[in-house]
Amino acid sequence: MTTTTTTPSPVSRVRNAARANWLFIALGAVAAVSLVRILTDTNDLTSVGTIRAAIIATCPILMAGLGGLWAERAGVVNIGLEGQMVLGTWGAAFFTYHSGSPWVGILGAALLGMIGGLLHAIATVTFGVDHIVSGVAINLIGVGATTYLAEATFTDLEGGGPRQLIGLPTPTTIDRIPGISGPAADLADKHWFFISDVASFVAALTTKISLLSLVIFALVVASGWILWKTSFGLRLRSCGENPQAAETLGVNVYLYKYVAVLISGAMAGIGGGFLALVASSGFSTNQTNGRGYIGLAAMIFGNWRPGGLLAGALTFGYTDSLRLRDTHAVHSLLLLVAVALIAITVLRIVRKQIAGAVAMAVPGAALLVWFLSTDSVPRDFTSMTPYVTTLFVLALGTQRLRMPAADGRPYRKGSAG
Amino acid sequence: MTQESVAVELRGIGKRFPGVIANHDVDLTIRAGTVHALIGENGAGKSTLMKILYGVQKPDDGTIAINGREVALRTPTDAIANGVGMVFQHFMLADNLTVLENMVLGAEKLHGIGDRARAEIRRISDAFGFGLQPDVLVEKLGVADRQRLEIAKVLYRGACIIILDEPTAVLVPQEVDALFANLRELRNAGNAVLFISHKLDEVLAIADDITVMRRGTTVGTADPHTTTKRELAELMVGSELPSPETEESTVTDTVELTLANVTLADEFGRNLLTDVSLSIHRGEILGIAGVEGNGQAELVETIMGMRIPGGGTIHLGTEDVTHWHTRKLREAGIGYIPEDRHRHGLLLDAPLWENRILGHQTQAPNAKGPWINRSGARKDTQRIVAEYDVRAPGIDTPARALSGGNQQKLIVGREMSGDPVLLIASHPTRGVDVGAQAAIWDHIKRARRAGLAVLLISADLDELIGLSDTIQVILRGRLVGTFDPASVTPQDLGAAMTGGQAA
Repeated sequence: MTTTTTTPSPVSRVRNAARANWLFIALGAVAAVSLVRILTDTNDLTSVGTIRAAIIATCPILMAGLGGLWAERAGVVNIGLEGQMVLGTWGAAFFTYHSGSPWVGILGAALLGMIGGLLHAIATVTFGVDHIVSGVAINLIGVGATTYLAEATFTDLEGGGPRQLIGLPTPTTIDRIPGISGPAADLADKHWFFISDVASFVAALTTKISLLSLVIFALVVASGWILWKTSFGLRLRSCGENPQAAETLGVNVYLYKYVAVLISGAMAGIGGGFLALVASSGFSTNQTNGRGYIGLAAMIFGNWRPGGLLAGALTFGYTDSLRLRDTHAVHSLLLLVAVALIAITVLRIVRKQIAGAVAMAVPGAALLVWFLSTDSVPRDFTSMTPYVTTLFVLALGTQRLRMPAADGRPYRKGSAG
Repeated sequence: MTQESVAVELRGIGKRFPGVIANHDVDLTIRAGTVHALIGENGAGKSTLMKILYGVQKPDDGTIAINGREVALRTPTDAIANGVGMVFQHFMLADNLTVLENMVLGAEKLHGIGDRARAEIRRISDAFGFGLQPDVLVEKLGVADRQRLEIAKVLYRGACIIILDEPTAVLVPQEVDALFANLRELRNAGNAVLFISHKLDEVLAIADDITVMRRGTTVGTADPHTTTKRELAELMVGSELPSPETEESTVTDTVELTLANVTLADEFGRNLLTDVSLSIHRGEILGIAGVEGNGQAELVETIMGMRIPGGGTIHLGTEDVTHWHTRKLREAGIGYIPEDRHRHGLLLDAPLWENRILGHQTQAPNAKGPWINRSGARKDTQRIVAEYDVRAPGIDTPARALSGGNQQKLIVGREMSGDPVLLIASHPTRGVDVGAQAAIWDHIKRARRAGLAVLLISADLDELIGLSDTIQVILRGRLVGTFDPASVTPQDLGAAMTGGQAA
């Protein structure tokens, strides 16, 4: 061990391999979508409009997922994200209306979400209440409190009512970035294999995009950097992995758990604020519609990592936006999933995992038959098909998940040793 | 090596928990630049004392002086600031973090969390031959590597007083040698090492000074150059006489349980049990003596079908039961008094009559076909409560409401029901009061007279000597000696248990 070596350590090689892996998965996904688009002649599948709608659908889910990431990395399961998001929708509307600035509104949304987070932290960290029980309670409280507050504060306002508040100013929208938006949109209109799909994505990201969306994407990067590259993040994660060990090294576990859950609530609140200010024309009660849970699911599928949760949220957001645009696209989705499943089957066969290959081949073939034998998905199914297919792909595609070791476990000070 | 500067001085330390005196009047002096061994039996108060020195627990009485200065250690942070570091018996590592992350956690200010820290880890690792790679996940490390990481963690924080709580308990002999080489390096670098153990040969091999604890207090010191293992064993065990009285033998010629060369390996592929062979006759009580963690729990779990041995065979009567599972074994007539009644023996919040059914849920009087026979179970619970003198308000009382002794009597009654042919009793009188202890002893003796074969595992040497027809000693997963309880003394057993002297 006295000679110094210049070859990269095995771990950095593994990290590079993991990064390359993510890149391949992303490229593969785009290629698959592109292939299905050309095969089914459904150009709307990757039109600029669809991608724009997908980004808008992704952002709230992403924020809920980020909220989950912060809490669970510190060992607290936060199923109360939904409630914290709902509180955020009201906070955004209230503070935007009274200040006139949507950015103050977003801070208000974060504050309301944080209040939900504080409740959760008091219950789970200080009193050791079961995390799921407390989270469900927060969800009920969030919905109840928001309904009450809306009725109490919005009824007499201009544009308001007991269940809504519309006509709020929205965060700045970037109309176009010269030199990028135009050419990208032109390229997207050519409908070339792969290239046009990527161009469409670039066009959507640079044209008529809310600044808040970009802030949200930046928050994903910032969260990843803080949690994995700073000593604050290391201490926070140690509380989720082995709080007893952290305690013996002088980490104030209670404090870090509180901070994590507060940040978690703030993130979920901002997600709610996005819903009220950007994704729709204003506040209405219960407009989160389960996105808190979807965000939590995206984070779990993303293996408790920011990159993974981004991929999970994008998948959910994309299929959700397809549902809203046209039923033909939903029908194409069947083929997309069938192609994905068959691709995994081939991979399994190559790796000689026969049982796994069969498990993939059967639903893959069934979906293919469904696609070929019908022209559209029955109307009653269209609203749920995206979720079902997404769950399908993610659940089957994600093989090895590793949650923080002490996630959801009660922790008491002085239990070390 | 004989520097006379004192690193740690504990004077009159006392610590009480509700109902228990963990430490009283503890005096301990550790010289700088030495390895100081603290020895004593399980429950002698060693671990509590170490937690006090590391600031995890606060002492009720006494003073702690470090490098001649009196200090108050309220938290581990205080202890670290005073140069005290501790390697816990159960490692304090996060599996999903890297070596580097585990190392710098809580000490990020010293060398950052990046390349400077990496360089410092390499420096410590090279200086003591630890061979640590900073960017490997801890879950990839073996036990010995984890221990070296724990020691490196302590050094990283600049500790010069290093406590190791039973560091060899998890190591195989070669790893122990490597650890001792590391410890000598640390000592030669001027650190004070406090080594807690109950393995006497190891203590004599590494220690410069020895302090012995018994029943919560320090009872003496010894010089490793002049003392013998036997003298240390006597100091550790004390010299009380056995209280349960031996009766005339009821051992028959019929063998009930036979283990032949049973071997069991853990997930790392190291042997927990090695070539264990024993046989118990009807009417015989076979006692297993051993320091805790030497394979007793694994032996019991293997016989009970909770673990399947990697090699060897187990016969119950003439039947090969090596691969049977627990329920089948229980139905074949094995009664089991588990080591920890709260974790394995009872549902604390269920009423007594439901607890009566546990483990016998497929047998009369508890079951009728696929259904639970509620009235049968209740009636039989009444019988157990009366026959075994379980003091409880009624059979609908939750088990939690009973005292430890009464809980244990219920378990004994349950396991004696249904005419068992073999009883496995793990620490049957641990944590019960004197009255219940005598009652449980009586029940075991009566069962023996009725022809039951009994495997008795106990940390109470007097109990083993008083009840057993034969005593075998288990050490590091091997049966290392057979003793006749009529002639053996606790001191002999203590010595054999700690590897001091084979039979």
